[in-house]
Amino acid sequence: MHILATEGLTKRFPTVTAVDQLTVTVGPGVTGLVGANGAGKSTLIKILLGLLPPSGGTARVLDLDVTSQGAGIRRLVGYMPEHECLPPDVSATELVVHLAQMSGLPRTAARERAADVLRHVGLAEERYRPIGGYSTGMKQRVKLAQALVHDPKVVFLDEPTNGLDPRGRDEMLALVRRIGTEFGISVVVTSHLLGELERICDHVVVIDAGRLLRSSAIGEFTQSTQTVTVEVDEGMEALAARLSETGHTVSPQGRLLVVQVRGPETYDAVRDAAADLDLCLIRLEQGRHRIEDVFREEVAHV
Amino acid sequence: MSEIYDIGYRHYDGPRLGRAHSFRALAVHSLRGIFGIGRPARSKIVPFALVAIMLMPAVVSIALMALIKERGIAYSAYAVIMQAVVAIFLASQSPTVVAPDLRHRVLPLYLSRPVSVADYVAAKVAAMTVAVFALVAVPLTLMYVGEVVVDLPGDPATGEYAGSILMALALALLLAAFGLALASFTPRRGLGVASVMVVYLLSSASVPMVYGTLYSTGNEAAASWAWLLNPFWLVDSVQSWLFGTPPHSIEGAAYPSGPASLAVLVLLIAAGLGALALRYRKAAAR
Repeated sequence: MHILATEGLTKRFPTVTAVDQLTVTVGPGVTGLVGANGAGKSTLIKILLGLLPPSGGTARVLDLDVTSQGAGIRRLVGYMPEHECLPPDVSATELVVHLAQMSGLPRTAARERAADVLRHVGLAEERYRPIGGYSTGMKQRVKLAQALVHDPKVVFLDEPTNGLDPRGRDEMLALVRRIGTEFGISVVVTSHLLGELERICDHVVVIDAGRLLRSSAIGEFTQSTQTVTVEVDEGMEALAARLSETGHTVSPQGRLLVVQVRGPETYDAVRDAAADLDLCLIRLEQGRHRIEDVFREEVAHV
Repeated sequence: MSEIYDIGYRHYDGPRLGRAHSFRALAVHSLRGIFGIGRPARSKIVPFALVAIMLMPAVVSIALMALIKERGIAYSAYAVIMQAVVAIFLASQSPTVVAPDLRHRVLPLYLSRPVSVADYVAAKVAAMTVAVFALVAVPLTLMYVGEVVVDLPGDPATGEYAGSILMALALALLLAAFGLALASFTPRRGLGVASVMVVYLLSSASVPMVYGTLYSTGNEAAASWAWLLNPFWLVDSVQSWLFGTPPHSIEGAAYPSGPASLAVLVLLIAAGLGALALRYRKAAAR
């Protein structure tokens, strides 16, 4: 069963075509929607919510038509916008209870669900304070909570990791993964970083300038370009030389070394080299597979 | 940073109610916002101070009735006499109903639910109408209860009281439609307050100006139309026609014909609601 399906979907604005002849289907689970800024991700979500009429083609969400059954769709889906959308003078509890009622939940059920969901997204005592005093990470959690409070079948999360620090990013991604697996709610999550979505998605849809570039299960994305970024305090040249000796492809990028990963032995090699040379290892980070890489690959394939 | 507690996720399989429920929830939420309930203490100061000022003449009136057996302020005159307070309430609280959702872009959170723009606007207008109505009707009712309890000689003025309550509702709808329309054109609260206040002051100040100009040029019949420029006198002229109450214009000057006043009132309410609808159609498309 498809959770959403589009057929030749097109959206033209006076000056730009945001979605262009898009035909794609998405199944249950966690689906990443990847594209550079302005690729048409947010426009696509608005069409799927039945908030923007398409200029051409059709789209169905949970087998409901977006143009004629928009209200039915909005009853069953949750939406976390990309931009800031929280009033500062109310508490998270008050806002989420209110929005649950707006989705049709009776008051007592709304209170229970709001308390549950706020705990799931990791907001504790601070949920009684006005949102104006929250950090970006807490605000993102409130935005996520309001999208889940009415127990939707599908949630659309528009750039949920926007503005978060690396740790907040990891926590948010773990939470998104849990929603798709443990909570049993299908997730469509957008990002302009493919590397981020690789970690949590079952399926990835790549769009560029409103056109479908690629739609495939995560395993099909090539792993051959995987890299690891190494940062050491000093002695970068020595480390690069040592790794090259052991047959690794190493390219310096400013203060960082980018090493091609051939398998688990690469990590061992980096560790041993750093230990042997008595270097101060600051960072060892899996390379982010950037959207640009996919574009480059796609162009190369053509 | 807080930890994520590992308690399993529970699905919701209870009832999902329809539009009437969400409409009521939004109206109640907005009404709470107008009076600062569930908001920080400073949000409560202005609305409740204005309510207290509105109640003062009613309390004085009851005291007059109890002590010297004489009526103080007439029911039908209450809104006109206290118009500055009602106008300040409208100006200070209208932006709290519409501005935060526009300024902080909360509207998409509503529109991504089964709530239409029309439902949203209607619920906001309903909330503001109830708030203004309560502001005027509560002192009137207090005064009426006082009159019945004090038991003045002669019958209590039940008819006049009922009429003034009905007109308070009409006044509330007119003010709510205009207040929200003006406030919704700017997402900034301060500007919203100022714009509502300026329009009220202009509508008040223009009455003696237009009246005086027409009167001095010998156009007495035309001069009486000047009263309709101010919403409070407009509603009073309809009241005067419907319930036969004396005009509460300055020095009791006569109003123009009643049916025409009613038509103007209805047209103005429609214009206010229309402006709101246009404003939100644009806001929703963003």
